[in-house]
Amino acid sequence: MPKVKVDGIEVEVPVGATVMQACEAAGKEIPRFCYHERLTIAGNCRMCLVEVKPGPPKPQASCALPASDGQEITTMSPAVKKAREGVMEFLLINHPLDCPICDQGGECDLQDQAVAYGRGHSRFAENKRAVTEKYMGPVVKTIMTRCIQCTRCVRFAEEVAGVEEIGAIYRGENMQITSYLEGAVTSELSGNVVDLCPVGALVSKPYSFEARPWELSKVPGIDVSDGVGTNIRIDSRLREVMRVVPRISEEVNEEWAHDKTRHMVDGLTRNRLDRPWVRKGGKLQAATWEEAFDAIAKVAKKAGDSVAAVAGDLVDVETMYAAKKLLASLGSNLIEGRQTGLAYDATNIAAVNFNTTIAGIETADAILLVGTNPRWEASLVNTRIRKAVKKGAKVFAIGPEVDLTYPVEWLGNDMSLLAKLPKAAADAMTKAERPAMIVGGSALKVPGGQAASLALVDSLNLIRGDWNGYNVLHTVAARTAGLMLGYALAGGMAALAEKAPKLLFLLGADEADLSPFDKSFKVYVGHHGDKGAHGADVILPGAAYTEKHGIYVNLEGRVQYSERAIFPPGDAREDWSIFRALSAVLGKPLPFDSFGELRTALFAEYPAFAEAGLVRFDWAPPALKAEAIAQGTEVAYPIKDFYLTNPIARSSPTLRRCSAEILHGEDFAEAAE
Amino acid sequence: MLKKIFTWWEGATIGTALHSWRNGSKVGSDSLGNIYYEGKKDGRRWVIYAGENDASAVPPEWHSWLHKQIDGLPDDVLPPVRAFEKPGTRNLTGTDAAYRPSGALEKGGQRQAATGDYEAWTPN
Repeated sequence: MPKVKVDGIEVEVPVGATVMQACEAAGKEIPRFCYHERLTIAGNCRMCLVEVKPGPPKPQASCALPASDGQEITTMSPAVKKAREGVMEFLLINHPLDCPICDQGGECDLQDQAVAYGRGHSRFAENKRAVTEKYMGPVVKTIMTRCIQCTRCVRFAEEVAGVEEIGAIYRGENMQITSYLEGAVTSELSGNVVDLCPVGALVSKPYSFEARPWELSKVPGIDVSDGVGTNIRIDSRLREVMRVVPRISEEVNEEWAHDKTRHMVDGLTRNRLDRPWVRKGGKLQAATWEEAFDAIAKVAKKAGDSVAAVAGDLVDVETMYAAKKLLASLGSNLIEGRQTGLAYDATNIAAVNFNTTIAGIETADAILLVGTNPRWEASLVNTRIRKAVKKGAKVFAIGPEVDLTYPVEWLGNDMSLLAKLPKAAADAMTKAERPAMIVGGSALKVPGGQAASLALVDSLNLIRGDWNGYNVLHTVAARTAGLMLGYALAGGMAALAEKAPKLLFLLGADEADLSPFDKSFKVYVGHHGDKGAHGADVILPGAAYTEKHGIYVNLEGRVQYSERAIFPPGDAREDWSIFRALSAVLGKPLPFDSFGELRTALFAEYPAFAEAGLVRFDWAPPALKAEAIAQGTEVAYPIKDFYLTNPIARSSPTLRRCSAEILHGEDFAEAAE
Repeated sequence: MLKKIFTWWEGATIGTALHSWRNGSKVGSDSLGNIYYEGKKDGRRWVIYAGENDASAVPPEWHSWLHKQIDGLPDDVLPPVRAFEKPGTRNLTGTDAAYRPSGALEKGGQRQAATGDYEAWTPN
């Protein structure tokens, strides 16, 4: 461990650390543009110059210089100050002075560092360089004249996103960042380059000219667009969410978020349910809360205990808990969350959990994907697998071939392969130190798929010591919490349909096939007018994920708390309070009158939710009857269109355009302004 | 006549009218019917309004004359009125003709989109 002296402070840094990291360990701030913790080192902005002894008498770029024993580093000397001022002056030579109309203004690294480390004025009287705009798809707006060629976006696209569509051409002053072919950047992670860009060259297209960072109220939240539970910061102004950006969370999303997370929010102002509706004479008509509750009470009186609830993909724990309690008070336990008809055995949650954890999959050295397309089902798990592959892991996959951004050995689209894995794959898995298997929803849908995949746990020896390599990849935010609360009937939706409930509550359930429930009186509690609302008999307007405090459990069983950023629109109410109010109308008031009381009751019954963090599920897989899977049993991935998987996303014009342009090849390329 | 004696908010009061008759000489009137006087001895300038006593009812050219920004009468010394110049109007604040933005209820409430707006869902 090298010991170095930074401005007289002695620090010890790990082997391989850079001088910049040593300075940070000593508590010194080093200005930088091109250096980023999660990308490779480029060393081309020269902003991080420091003096290092022993070494050449000129200042050194600290981000690219390894720290070695006995170095004396000076970060505050006049020579360093002069060098930084010089670098800053050069960077500003070709940077336009358009901060007042720049979307990055107020959160711009160049602005901040020019104030802190730059000269007060410029000596450059010549004309500035101008660069033509580039087209980078529906979510990234470019103003390339502002670019300072830090190449963070190029490195991100290449290293993390795994699409080599952004690159640098020409050299010296003429260097330009461009998306080759000027087409839409097809990565589902393209929005991250907006956060990475230290200046205003790449900014968010839907957010352009919408708000200034200092106007926004910032609230920590949890994303619900997939099962990963990306930690987000919800930026809102007055009663509208203006944007969503990722928070740093090493265990979950590092500091990335995919485009659906970021741009789903403009669906929050469209297609909103803002008043109750009651179906009268076959037509939905606007109603008051009293009328809506009375209509439900009339049916509930006759229905008795023939009541059921289907939880949607975006609901929080509190909503599901309140609904479950309401049903229990009516004498029913017919609750189901797997809307699309999956019917796997969920008696042991560890057997349907992502046991390696999201961060842990990085350390796997052999990975078998079974009927899953992680790039679409959990994009940020895919980036972790990509990291594992870069460290040398081999990936095998059963299912239709797709581009996962890393080399995959496709074994074929045939679920019967689970029973007789090709020898090469089986050997690689058994010989690996940390083998992992990821089972997707499409594999669990195949009769016998779950049994066959669980059988592989023993035959491939996936559980060794504290390593459990059996993973199920859930695609929706509410799933793990739903399973913990018991939203899983044996037999799934089909079993629910057989019971023919007279009264059916849909908690934002928009993906379910409602045709078997023709005879049921359907009450939709949710926030967007989508499939569920169209088929409902009574609609009760609820709150979206940005509009309520909520607990979400991600696919690895991590309990996370989300906070409220804004209030629901119009007459809409928070979902738990709807069930509380309805229970009073039905004459069986639930035992909580406030959100605090609800959480107290919830935590008493399910202590796992009381603390944020990973829940430990005991591994006790159910003994399932082995069912032979016919040879040639093909599967199709559950997500047909990455950008339009939930009602909020389907209401978002940005994501509709992403879908049309990136997935369906419609041409939106704009002429340069 | 009674109104003339007992009120002061339209035209001249008795005293002002008398004073204007004795000491003032009428020099002209504007398009709104306001009549302008100049003192016979002291050269003071004043106006007697047609209708409500509202200083904003003086058009710009007569405003210049009243405030002695110009010596001669507006018609004589000011450049001719150009085609693009609109006649002056009095301050319309508080009247039905006052300016209201397109979002005002009197104008139909057609305002532009603002933060916090949302599109509500309807079944049709």
